[in-house]
Amino acid sequence: MKIQISNGMFIAMILNIMYAKAIGVTQGVLARAVGQDMWLATLLGTLEGIVMMYLTYVVIRRTPDKDFVQLGQLLLGRWFSSLIALVIFAFFIVAFGPIMITFVYHLRDYFLPDAPLWIFVVTSLVVGAIGCYYGLEVMGRIAMIGLLFMFALNVLITIGSMQEFDIRNLLPVMESGLPRTAKASMHYLADCAMATMMATLVLPLVKKVDIGNGRFGVLGIIGSGMMIIIWAILEGAVLSSEVTSQYTLSCMKLARNAHIGTFLQRYEMIMIALYSLPALFEVMFCIYGTSVCISRIFGIKSNRPMIIPCCIVLGVFGYWIIEDHFRAIDFLENYWPFIALPVAIGLPLIMVLLRVMLGSKLQKKSA
Amino acid sequence: MKRIGYCILLIVLVVPMLTSCMGLRQINELAMVAAVGLDLGEKPGTVRLSAQIIRPADARGQTGAPSGGTGEPIYSITTEGSSIFDAIRNMGQISSRRVYWAHNFLIVMSEQYARKGIDDMVDFFTRNHELRMNTWVAVSADKPEEVISTVTGLEVVPGEAVDRLFRDHRIPGRAPGTNMMSLEESHLSSSTQSVIARVSLQPRGVSNKKPGEHGSIQQVELKGAAAFKESKMVGWLTADDARGVLFFLERLDKGIEVVTCPDSSTDMMTLEFNSAKLKVTPSYTQGSPKFKVRLTTSADIVENGCSQTTEQLRKDAGEGLDQELTKTLEGVIDKAQHKYQSDFLKLGDVFRNKYPTEWKKLKGNWDDAFSEAEITVVVETTVKSGVVKATREGIK
Repeated sequence: MKIQISNGMFIAMILNIMYAKAIGVTQGVLARAVGQDMWLATLLGTLEGIVMMYLTYVVIRRTPDKDFVQLGQLLLGRWFSSLIALVIFAFFIVAFGPIMITFVYHLRDYFLPDAPLWIFVVTSLVVGAIGCYYGLEVMGRIAMIGLLFMFALNVLITIGSMQEFDIRNLLPVMESGLPRTAKASMHYLADCAMATMMATLVLPLVKKVDIGNGRFGVLGIIGSGMMIIIWAILEGAVLSSEVTSQYTLSCMKLARNAHIGTFLQRYEMIMIALYSLPALFEVMFCIYGTSVCISRIFGIKSNRPMIIPCCIVLGVFGYWIIEDHFRAIDFLENYWPFIALPVAIGLPLIMVLLRVMLGSKLQKKSA
Repeated sequence: MKRIGYCILLIVLVVPMLTSCMGLRQINELAMVAAVGLDLGEKPGTVRLSAQIIRPADARGQTGAPSGGTGEPIYSITTEGSSIFDAIRNMGQISSRRVYWAHNFLIVMSEQYARKGIDDMVDFFTRNHELRMNTWVAVSADKPEEVISTVTGLEVVPGEAVDRLFRDHRIPGRAPGTNMMSLEESHLSSSTQSVIARVSLQPRGVSNKKPGEHGSIQQVELKGAAAFKESKMVGWLTADDARGVLFFLERLDKGIEVVTCPDSSTDMMTLEFNSAKLKVTPSYTQGSPKFKVRLTTSADIVENGCSQTTEQLRKDAGEGLDQELTKTLEGVIDKAQHKYQSDFLKLGDVFRNKYPTEWKKLKGNWDDAFSEAEITVVVETTVKSGVVKATREGIK
């Protein structure tokens, strides 16, 4: 029986895959680029992400039971589907870099500085592999719990930061100008890219995807935007953009500053516990995405045999990225958006074009 | 069978992690720092770091020596190094326990250290993940190691005593509540300068055993502030100036002012103002910024030594308070503009928010533009009650 996930699970998965990186790592990058306008860059990125997600939906609209790889086979044959699978595989390998930066630096730099790096990489991959082994439905359920955790985390950080909230730190609005803010928004759009690339594989497995008019994916991006923009505003208003721009993980800086009254301080350990589930979901989906794609390339029916080989590849790449902080930041700011965006925008565009060009062929095949 | 095997393997792999042995630090092996002092070292280019460490056995319970303890609730040590971190590492040569910074209440810098620049201090204490961001920061004209090791009358740990002084700093309203959070923000800001609270040792304590020796015990006093330009201290602010700073930076809404009675130069009346609101309105004309500072507040007469009719008293009290508050605000503005040429009142921030394009032009030369800016102060007070008393006149 074909696995299906509910619309709610799909939306939760989008939020989970974007949240962990976008609230801290991305906001730090945005603050360095546009100062206090980082919340505007996040807002613009959300609008761009909506278009990108809708474009992904448009690709599979006529063939709602086929993901990008299967659709590629239908359009141009096996070689093309393998090429698409290879591109998506490469995307998730590269995406694992920023994900590891987010996950490992949170835990290691703030809580366990003496622990060796490999511990974090291996444990996250073990948890991710287990989730991936049990399949998409289990991952969807984890994402639902992750969504609850994200709500709780947002509530905690909002309560803990309101005492220091100074709206003047967010002014003047649009000081960097629209072109610079729009350019900076691509860093947030790169986070949306993870969600759209996830949708290329998952969308056909969503119940009633064909009758939603792409609404679920769009709702996911809007929901993510709402959850993440809270952090952008708080970081700008509480820390100030100058302080935010100094840190790799600006969300941890905010969490470190948070306090409820005088006596409840330094509760970032609770926040990090809530944060870990979305972060682990990201790892989980990277394993899922790579293992599904590589199994399609080799023509293997199930992705399970490919989980461990994919974990090894992901682990090696992830370790290499995080081993040097300066390399990690350089990769994050100067390479990741320029790899993620051409793939996440280009791939759906090519597919739409091919659909238009080979529409009649597709209809015959479908018939 | 295979599944059980996998489960056993997983448990075997996971169990060693549950021991939490990695990076283990037992609480009884830690030297918990409650206050830090920073000064210039004896050798040029070095830093002198003093730490007030809590002795858990002696710091528990009430003041006084518990059985088995030394009677000293704190242990203070001093080291020197080429940098702060170097000095901290050198502390490991003296301290039998590993120095732990997460519970630090206070950082006190000497005036000489602050005048040399606080870039490295701000960087170190914000880079270290262990430290709390609400650690209080102060500058002192006294030796920091003496300030941090002065045992106060009420609290067992001196760092905790200063922590409480800071927590309630808005009540006397004579010093800003500077912590690492606010200091980092102002230090990194391109449109404002830093201001840090001042602590000093004052002979205020009275010995219970020898009450005749009034003021024989040194106590830590939180009063006044240090003004900074870029990262260097440029001078002191008085307690009155510090009150003015609080209106601008911390939205001070309550406080007391003592005003002279109009019919006497010796009699006084005390007014408690509340719901104070300070609004700064910037404007820009002919290439130079202007600011209108407007303070509105209501007040109650809480102590009256004047012999006037109620109507007259109300009028005079209002005028007296107006004058006092205007003097406070103008005093601190004058110091910021002319004496130190340092915008620690965040007026640059206000200007930048309203005139971002003009700010870009003035940004590079803001200190000059700020010192030449026209700033007008308007104070409006309304005296509303004499608290529980109706008038001083009694039966007519």
